[in-house]
Amino acid sequence: MLPRLFLPPDFRDLLPSNPLGMPLPACLSRRSIRSIRTAFALILSLSLSAAQAQPADAALYASGEKLFKGNCASCHKVDSKMTGPALRGAKVKWEGKGDLYAWVKNSQAYLKTGNELAVKIWDEYKPTIMTPVALTNEEIDAIFYYVDNWAPPVADTPKPPTGEPTDQGSNNWLWLLVLALLFLIVGLSLSGVKRSLANAVSEAEGKGTLPETSRMQRFRAWAWEHKVFMSFVGLFITVWVILKLWDAAWVIGVYGGDEVPHYKPEQPILFNHTLHAGKANKGNLAINCQYCHSSAEKSKHAGIPSVNVCMNCHKAVSTGRTEAGTKEIKKIHQHAGWDPEKGAFTGQEEPVRWVKVHNLPDHAYFSHATHVSVGKLECQECHGPIDEQMDVAEQWAPLTMKWCITCHNEREVKMAGNGYYDEVMARLNGDTILGHGELKKYLEDGKITVKELGGWECAKCHY
Amino acid sequence: MSTRNAITASLALALMASCDGDPNSPGVEYMPDMYRSPAVEAYVDYGQDPYFRSEEFVRKQRNRPSARKPVEGTIAFSADPAKAQFNMPYPFPNTPEGYEAAGAQLKSPIVMTEATVDKGKAIYAKFCQHCHGDKGAGDGPVVNNGKYPPPGSYSGPLKDLPEGKIFHSLTYGRNVGMGPHASLLSKEERWMVTHYVQYLQNGEKMTRDAMAAAPPVNQ
Repeated sequence: MLPRLFLPPDFRDLLPSNPLGMPLPACLSRRSIRSIRTAFALILSLSLSAAQAQPADAALYASGEKLFKGNCASCHKVDSKMTGPALRGAKVKWEGKGDLYAWVKNSQAYLKTGNELAVKIWDEYKPTIMTPVALTNEEIDAIFYYVDNWAPPVADTPKPPTGEPTDQGSNNWLWLLVLALLFLIVGLSLSGVKRSLANAVSEAEGKGTLPETSRMQRFRAWAWEHKVFMSFVGLFITVWVILKLWDAAWVIGVYGGDEVPHYKPEQPILFNHTLHAGKANKGNLAINCQYCHSSAEKSKHAGIPSVNVCMNCHKAVSTGRTEAGTKEIKKIHQHAGWDPEKGAFTGQEEPVRWVKVHNLPDHAYFSHATHVSVGKLECQECHGPIDEQMDVAEQWAPLTMKWCITCHNEREVKMAGNGYYDEVMARLNGDTILGHGELKKYLEDGKITVKELGGWECAKCHY
Repeated sequence: MSTRNAITASLALALMASCDGDPNSPGVEYMPDMYRSPAVEAYVDYGQDPYFRSEEFVRKQRNRPSARKPVEGTIAFSADPAKAQFNMPYPFPNTPEGYEAAGAQLKSPIVMTEATVDKGKAIYAKFCQHCHGDKGAGDGPVVNNGKYPPPGSYSGPLKDLPEGKIFHSLTYGRNVGMGPHASLLSKEERWMVTHYVQYLQNGEKMTRDAMAAAPPVNQ
């Protein structure tokens, strides 16, 4: 709060990044630890990958992999339970106890034979029925060959977190203050020394001690002697303070944009936008923004997804790419009341208290539906590169009235094929005899802006 | 005396400069009652009390979720009978029997046309593509980059899945891999997606069966 008023961010840029050239031991050691850790992980992964056993029959393994992924993987994992049982070792388990091939091909039909093992498995996984699959015995053999020889991939080398933790700014202030304090102490003691010297000189000259005056009195006397200089200094300070207050007043209630640090509150669950919505070619999941914020095209609100939307995927995903990620996924499971061990809901739910980031005052009306389904804007046009740079959501746009109406003034409306503007276009291009002649002026510059359709009418947003 | 003043002043300055602003606080609000108006808005944190009523009030407000489910048994109203049919309850239960029954009896209440397939394609791109892939081969980025259990291909294991089963799976989810999408998509939208899935099953051609307008059943 205070820095927003008294220390606008642009002021921070005026300072050198490390004014005294003092070493910043904390930063250095953190970086070196990280590089050591990365190197260690790299060596570990290299040695492990070398030790990893290769399957003897590569062709069989490959065909088994293809068949497994196409036919089995949506319900079975190799080593852990999902919709159906883990498949590793199934072949050994079935040996001499029944016909594995018949069981795989049509489990419900084979169940009717009353095989003991089949009944046991069915009891554990019912009522989900395994869809009969059209596979030959050779293909089933290939699948089990793949499953028994599959080795979990070695954990990726930990990706260094993007962006150094930057506490440089506050460090600068600290160093500056230490410097100022040092100067103050030196200055005060020097003035004390100077005064004792002056006293000594005056006594030596036989004029007796100087009259006892306070520092303030001496300062006043000095200032009175240097009237012109002091009035310039006073004027300068006054103008500087007024200008800074004026600037600060402009950003009261503004939590985004170029002029203030973006509002970026910590959320109860540290959801990573980049990982979920980022580009697929960068190893991210590329889920459409509107999958989770599905009401953006139907409602005033883009909507915070309820946990059931998270659980659409996180029933099957309980471990993250990092340990921190796994911790956050556990939080979702807690809120949704999901027991990953049993694979069932416990019914003990708890709402997530998300922190609202974009808070538009009540006197301005804004609808996501209008901007998304009619205006056909991309989310990123107002929310910034949220899918590429923002692990944590922050307020990117200033949401000031200037920002709104600047866009309304410049933005060309996407008229063609929209449906919403067919009537408007018909009238604009209509017959002059019908009294639509004066509308032609809007077509002169070749584009229709939001303003020309009434985007600057007060009551469009304030009513 | 003056030394103490100077030290106090520099300490105050230090205090002011050292706090870099609480990232969890949005900052100064211009007229807080405009941000938290008495009229209830979705997602606003009413745990901050602009009128300074009481601690008890704040606690109560904090524990009041703004996003809620509609009352059980509520049926949305629509004056348009063509739309109103979509608001009726879904008759098939979320059981293996319900799945089979939906596959056998449930038919699309809307005729599959190029328009519905196009709309279905747009919805598919937002809600399905990240797992099922562009053409439904089960190769979306969530599967490829996220090691997610891959769904069956529309040209492979799911080629002959009847429309009732597609719709049923969209509504309730299927196995562990696919979650329910009834809260994300309206019934009409789910049928449009179903049409697009059928279009993909048929090798990106309009299906002949669906073109011969099947009469709506159980809707």
